[in-house]
Amino acid sequence: MTPDEPLVRWDWVANHTGKIGFRVGEHLELTAIAVGVGLVIAFALAFAAVRLPALYPPITLFTGILYTIPSLALFAFLVPYTGISLLTAEIGLVSYTLLILVRNIVSGIRSVPSEVRDAALGMGYTPRAILWRIELPLALGVIFAGIRVATITTIGLVTVTALIGEGGLGYFILLGMQQLFSTPLLVGAIGSIAFAIVADAALVLLQRALTPWTRLA
Amino acid sequence: MAERRGATVELRAVTKRYGETVAVNELSFTVPAGRICVLVGPSGCGKTTSLRMVNRLIEPTAGEILIDGQNVLTEEPTALRRRIGYVIQQTGLFPHQTVADNIATVPRLLGWASERIAARVEELLRLVGLDPERMRRRYPAQLSGGERQRVGVARAMAAEPPLMLMDEPFGAVDPIVRTRLQDEFLNLQRTLGITVIFVTHDIDEAIKLGDRVAVMRAGRLVQYSPPAELLAHPADDFVAQFVGHDRALKRLGLLTVGGIELDRSIDRGRLDGAPTLSPATSVRDALAAMLVADARAAAVVDGDRYLGAITLPAIGRMLRGDDAT
Repeated sequence: MTPDEPLVRWDWVANHTGKIGFRVGEHLELTAIAVGVGLVIAFALAFAAVRLPALYPPITLFTGILYTIPSLALFAFLVPYTGISLLTAEIGLVSYTLLILVRNIVSGIRSVPSEVRDAALGMGYTPRAILWRIELPLALGVIFAGIRVATITTIGLVTVTALIGEGGLGYFILLGMQQLFSTPLLVGAIGSIAFAIVADAALVLLQRALTPWTRLA
Repeated sequence: MAERRGATVELRAVTKRYGETVAVNELSFTVPAGRICVLVGPSGCGKTTSLRMVNRLIEPTAGEILIDGQNVLTEEPTALRRRIGYVIQQTGLFPHQTVADNIATVPRLLGWASERIAARVEELLRLVGLDPERMRRRYPAQLSGGERQRVGVARAMAAEPPLMLMDEPFGAVDPIVRTRLQDEFLNLQRTLGITVIFVTHDIDEAIKLGDRVAVMRAGRLVQYSPPAELLAHPADDFVAQFVGHDRALKRLGLLTVGGIELDRSIDRGRLDGAPTLSPATSVRDALAAMLVADARAAAVVDGDRYLGAITLPAIGRMLRGDDAT
């Protein structure tokens, strides 16, 4: 970066709109797959933990260990096995969503008042129907809080996967660092931040639409 | 509302043990169809456990529970529960469902058609004194304590169960609302003829609502009697203490001045300044009115018609006479 170089060269941005759009799409895809697959696995683990409470501590320990592994180290560790691939990126990204998602699904279900569960059982709900029609809807608020954190974390982590050939907007950050060129670096950084803010707002709106009983006058 | 009969419920030597602890010990009693049986006793006496064994939320260790002659232990629990109304103190209304959806719970589980459910919800809301237009789309968080209990009762009655189990349903509301809910509930129960098993720790509530009162202590049934009998002849010191030292006054609360023999020999003119009472007044309230007015008698009138006088000596004789029987 030379001193007379402007911080942002708008002509570069204008010439690369197609590429930027492609990377935004890639970022969205990597995030959606990670949070989606993470949710499926987290629900399975959480349901198991709710049914057999003895499973909860080992599940928390396992997902907690995954969460503490530095992301760069994890990707580097996986490359010899799964190569420079989408799979490698997603294994890492999914791993980081599990701790928060499992914890929030379990505590959301556990936070359902016992008298609500008792009334449902006493009126002839089956345990399975109680889970799907009573406990999960009532846990949605806490579950959504987890999804929001997992989504924002994943959007940040996706940029790191640029190092293994994926990366979404992280590609521009890497490019900017390699070429000491501030424009793509800022496009990548500001783009990821904006994406995180938009995604979070979208999740808040979705949650409100799904839980109308939580905003009462 | 169609004429319906409640179920007859019979408990035969029902016992519940948790390890070495006996929560309910050889409990036996019969609730006749269409009657209210109140289980009452101090906390930990086993009354709630007993109630919850009827719809198999708790499995008895031994004994039989028969509803219209059929042993509940041979029935599939969810099917059994869908034909028994269930109301609990904290209502257990589903916070994420509207009032209408809450009330529709059991009809939906039973697979009723949606038009039939909507009509039933409307009917039930009116029955418990709530305006369907205003209430239908509200969530439980938007209701007062009394309204919540009404919705809880409506929900339990939705599929016209012949039996309702109620666990301190009016325990969480203030005394004024509780009295009104009790009165409305009694009316409703009399109209519908449902059998009710009702748990409370409040002896006054038991006396007011119960056709039969089952007093429990430490998992055992100590006495099973109509309320007047319970007050007149407590089975032992525990029951006497539990019903309270004012049990004579409570008995007077069960009688109305229209329902007792009045003294017609006392001329209306002599009762100038004495209280004037309607036949629906309880003898207890009559006594209070007479004490306040410093009168030894009160006039009982039905509209313009003078029915006779109630006197202090007559009330005293009534209590002593009842005690002697």
